[in-house]
Amino acid sequence: MRRKVSLSQVVLHAVVGIGAISMLIPLYWTVVSAFKPLTEIMTVPVTFIPLHPTLENFAGLLTQTLFARSMLNSIVIALANVILQVFFCSLAGFAFSKYRFRGRDALFTLVLGTVMIPQYVTLIPNYVVMGKIGWLDTWAPLIVPGIANAFGIFWMRQYIATVPDEFLDAARIDGAGEFGAFWRIVVPVIKPGLVTLALFIFLTSWNEFLLPLVYLRTRELYTVQLILANIFRVQYKVNYHWVMAASILVTLPIGVLFATLQKQFISGLTLGGLKG
Amino acid sequence: MLSARWPKLAPYVFISPFFIIFLIFGAFPIVFSGAASLLDWQGVTMGQFIGFQNYLNLFRDNDFRQAVVNTVYLLALSGPFTIGGGLILAVLLNSQLLRFRGAFRTIYYLPMAVSLVVAGLAFAMVLNKPFGLVNDLIVRQFLHSEPIDFLTSPTLAIPTLTLLIIWRYIGNDLVIMLAGLQSIPADLYEASRIDGAGAVQTFLYITLPQMVPIILFDAILTTVNTFNMFAEPYILFGTEGGVNQSALTTGLLVYRVSFRFFKFGYGAAMAYVIGVVIFGLSLLQLRLGRRD
Repeated sequence: MRRKVSLSQVVLHAVVGIGAISMLIPLYWTVVSAFKPLTEIMTVPVTFIPLHPTLENFAGLLTQTLFARSMLNSIVIALANVILQVFFCSLAGFAFSKYRFRGRDALFTLVLGTVMIPQYVTLIPNYVVMGKIGWLDTWAPLIVPGIANAFGIFWMRQYIATVPDEFLDAARIDGAGEFGAFWRIVVPVIKPGLVTLALFIFLTSWNEFLLPLVYLRTRELYTVQLILANIFRVQYKVNYHWVMAASILVTLPIGVLFATLQKQFISGLTLGGLKG
Repeated sequence: MLSARWPKLAPYVFISPFFIIFLIFGAFPIVFSGAASLLDWQGVTMGQFIGFQNYLNLFRDNDFRQAVVNTVYLLALSGPFTIGGGLILAVLLNSQLLRFRGAFRTIYYLPMAVSLVVAGLAFAMVLNKPFGLVNDLIVRQFLHSEPIDFLTSPTLAIPTLTLLIIWRYIGNDLVIMLAGLQSIPADLYEASRIDGAGAVQTFLYITLPQMVPIILFDAILTTVNTFNMFAEPYILFGTEGGVNQSALTTGLLVYRVSFRFFKFGYGAAMAYVIGVVIFGLSLLQLRLGRRD
């Protein structure tokens, strides 16, 4: 059965379609520019498909700048953030969800309240504190304060609430300690929730810009976002070809992570949402 | 007897890392920041106690005034597009008449997945004068006029920033609005259809009133994000905020005062004033979120 296509339906598709194309243009432009030689990038009229496609931009970026080094730095920092935050958030989420203890609700409200503290208020004093303990120009300020992740605790508490109490009682009867019950019983059944949180943490750490800008001085310690901004704004002046190639390489790990973990990610989201 | 007490103590131990870290890097800095804002603190020396002088100076500071004006201007220009546009887009993408709805939602959300630095650079590229896509293809070849100074003209600085903000964030507003639309009872639409209302009437008399709490929630979120914004103007216009500081926002100014000029006391006072505004708005947002 063919439905009649109405005028309003045509207009609807045209409006949404034109909008979608404008959303894609800057991304498309970044991708094609990365494969153009610098001279072609800086030529009018513009070319929609590279006239002289090349991989030279990537080669130059990886050999003549600190970009490759910064990729490694960002991966190490992001993994440290993921491991520490996932562990401590799920542990605290477990306590808030599966124990009854004095002051629990007040403490949980306090945890949630901390998300409203604006970043700028703590930025300056933290800088002074980091200076006092000798952490300026190290990765510690990009990793340690992040352990106090209120969203992560909230997320894991919601998620762990779905684990039946009987599982925990059975574990305790079998002689597992309090931590054993968490580690051996809870952690294995909340894997999708852990993966979803890990992705959020990785993404946040990977994309963070202000903190590395404030704390890092030594260029060998720079993160990808910092090097990227640096190639564009400070160090090399007109290097659009490297900037565009770097933009692709910076976005690639995020795309790969989402693609491979998509199934777990979505099941984590829906379950977390259902119990919300 | 450790073994008997342990089950009672365990939850406190399990939640303690959060509170230890928060005390050191969250609570202490707030108090410290308040104290620092009362000092004439520049660089390495903490300086003298000067009372509320830093706060009084703020009101006479032309840079601060310009940053607030720019930020409010940016908010006034971009807010209607991201919030209003997000709502209209959500209604369109929610329509049963539209095909490929999933694909369209993904496309509109895509810019949210790239980092702010990458987003800023993509825009710097597309809007470049003269060889950016917009200037060459649309302005020169299609409109046959002179290239536009998106990145260096003082009058265009905030509008250019607005373009980037709309592009990057409308997907986020879309998701919030789509979630809100799902909570409108279907029988309201049914009743409106039986009464013979058109699409525009349904939008004005059913959708809009039902979405008021969500719109307010999104408006506050947008306000907070705008006052917190840093990477976007930094990438497009640099720490100085472009020609004549025309893109100097509050986030850029706090950074510059504190970490370029190392006026920690003054920077702390500035951060406190902006912080109090943001905190108040967040409280309001929490209220609205609860009611829903």
